[in-house]
Amino acid sequence: MSRIKIIPLQFAGVEVLEQMLPLISARFKIETLVSTHRMDLTPFFNPVRSQYNANDIIQKMVPLVDEGDKIVGVTDLDLFIPVLSYIFGQAYLGGSVALVSGHRLVNARYGLADDPKLFSERLLKCIIHELGHAFGLKHCLLPGCVMVSTTYVEEMDQKSDQFCRSCKIQLK
Amino acid sequence: MDNNLSILIVDDELSVRDSLSNWFIEDGYSVDTAEDAKVALKKIEAFNFHIILVDIKLPGMDGLELNRRIKSINDEAVVIIMTAFASVDSAVQALKDGAYDYVCKPFDPDAITHIIRNASKTIHLSQENISLQDRIKSLVNVEDIIGESEGILKVLEQVRVVAGTDSTVIINGDSGTGKELIAKAIHMNSSRRFFPMVIVHCGAIAENLMESELFGHERGAFTGAQYARKGKFEMADGATLFLDEISTISMKMQIELLRVLEAKTFTRVGGNREFKSDFRVICATNRDLQAMVNAGEFREDLFYRLNVFSITIPPLRERTEDIKPLSEHFVKFYAEQMNKGTKHIGRRAAKALNNYDFPGNVRELENLIERAIVIGTGDTVQLKDLPLDHVAAKPTWESIQEMEYHHIQGILEKYDWNISRSAKALGVDRVTLYSKIKKYKIEKNK
Repeated sequence: MSRIKIIPLQFAGVEVLEQMLPLISARFKIETLVSTHRMDLTPFFNPVRSQYNANDIIQKMVPLVDEGDKIVGVTDLDLFIPVLSYIFGQAYLGGSVALVSGHRLVNARYGLADDPKLFSERLLKCIIHELGHAFGLKHCLLPGCVMVSTTYVEEMDQKSDQFCRSCKIQLK
Repeated sequence: MDNNLSILIVDDELSVRDSLSNWFIEDGYSVDTAEDAKVALKKIEAFNFHIILVDIKLPGMDGLELNRRIKSINDEAVVIIMTAFASVDSAVQALKDGAYDYVCKPFDPDAITHIIRNASKTIHLSQENISLQDRIKSLVNVEDIIGESEGILKVLEQVRVVAGTDSTVIINGDSGTGKELIAKAIHMNSSRRFFPMVIVHCGAIAENLMESELFGHERGAFTGAQYARKGKFEMADGATLFLDEISTISMKMQIELLRVLEAKTFTRVGGNREFKSDFRVICATNRDLQAMVNAGEFREDLFYRLNVFSITIPPLRERTEDIKPLSEHFVKFYAEQMNKGTKHIGRRAAKALNNYDFPGNVRELENLIERAIVIGTGDTVQLKDLPLDHVAAKPTWESIQEMEYHHIQGILEKYDWNISRSAKALGVDRVTLYSKIKKYKIEKNK
């Protein structure tokens, strides 16, 4: 039976992920669990950019997937892909692996007071969004849908953690 | 989201090609890649890509030369130059050679998203422009409006006169006489024809929404106004604003409308930024606005502001000579639309149409013909296909001979010209019926 596994990779807030499980499970109607796995991310560090290469990490995660499952790595590290200066997350359309970074979701990085609740909401949206891609969904234009493409946290705060009706139908 | 645009990524680095492909596929674009200029040119010759992202440093032919070659193959392709080494000279050269934009790697995700969205908008606008120009060519010419009556010819002459001006026009006419068509004819023959005719059906918009509909609103102007919205005044900049059923707008809106018509400036609801808009107003009404002014139901100052030029479309019952050409036009139109072989209108059906007073005017005639084409068979619209039996039955003849002629003709058609059955129904023998047919020169209806 298919499952979604959330794998913390150098991520400090495992309890935050555990609180999200019922929500993620409800969105995709699939059993969701946190699975621990040790992976050294040092080889993926790019000293010129002081960031970690998300594409390479995803390649390294592929062997961890059991047939029919989707896995999503969650990290506190700052991620990039070669052509973009940063990313919140990465997944391949219809693939089985997704990767999400909480690095740029923290309010304090924008000179604002820390807000753990807001961080948790943003992280949940990111995880659901990238998993949505893994389940074959493209970006959505309907304001509020979790599949709306966002490049700033302010934009992310505008959308919900829910799929719109059209995305829900496609998900089925 | 799915969009119809295709993107070609030309970069010698596999990781760049893969990353960008994935990024754009998630946005719903159709994506292809090429590792050098040679492969790219082959693909561009075989397929019309909408957007081409070209790395400036490529093995063999560089990105700048490739850009020039692309432009010679497909001038409409949007080329975006990418480079890891920003240089003002190469950027200027790329833009001079027709590139759309220039970005430095690695891109800020927001920057590349905006560039591609802007490029998509440009492409869509260009496509829309071509399709609109095609539509304009096929849209309302004054000559294309059907009618031979004195009444409609006078209307068309007025359209010709007023179209070339920028004057406000009131079109009067009963419901279904074609007020919107006449408004379109004015618009399409005016200098504003390359802009849309923005239509506001005043009667169909709730009073509380009218202000936002016309003026637009700023974000947060009221509960639920999550995003700013353009109003019809703003949309009609450079164009024609058609206010249908103008008589239904409230006194409050009449004051607001008068102010905008005079100043041609307005602010969105909930905003204080002043917008200018250059639009021409055409309005339509099926009520007597002058009488409404006299009764205190319509503002006199607004009436005079609108009533610069007035066109009155006569009802169809007052121009019965237009019924035949209009009916024939609708038969041709709907037969083509429904892929039916209907070509003619039978004599009795035509007569019934001519005798009918059409309270719903041209719209009613159109609906009758459409219905007749749907339910009819053969190449002729018959009386039975029209819900007008009562009209046909209404006798319009006076002499006994005329009555006899029409009665025999009706019975013959009822029994499909079966002489024996018709004669039996008429209570005469077959020989008598033949002699009557000969006497009255009755012919089978085509």
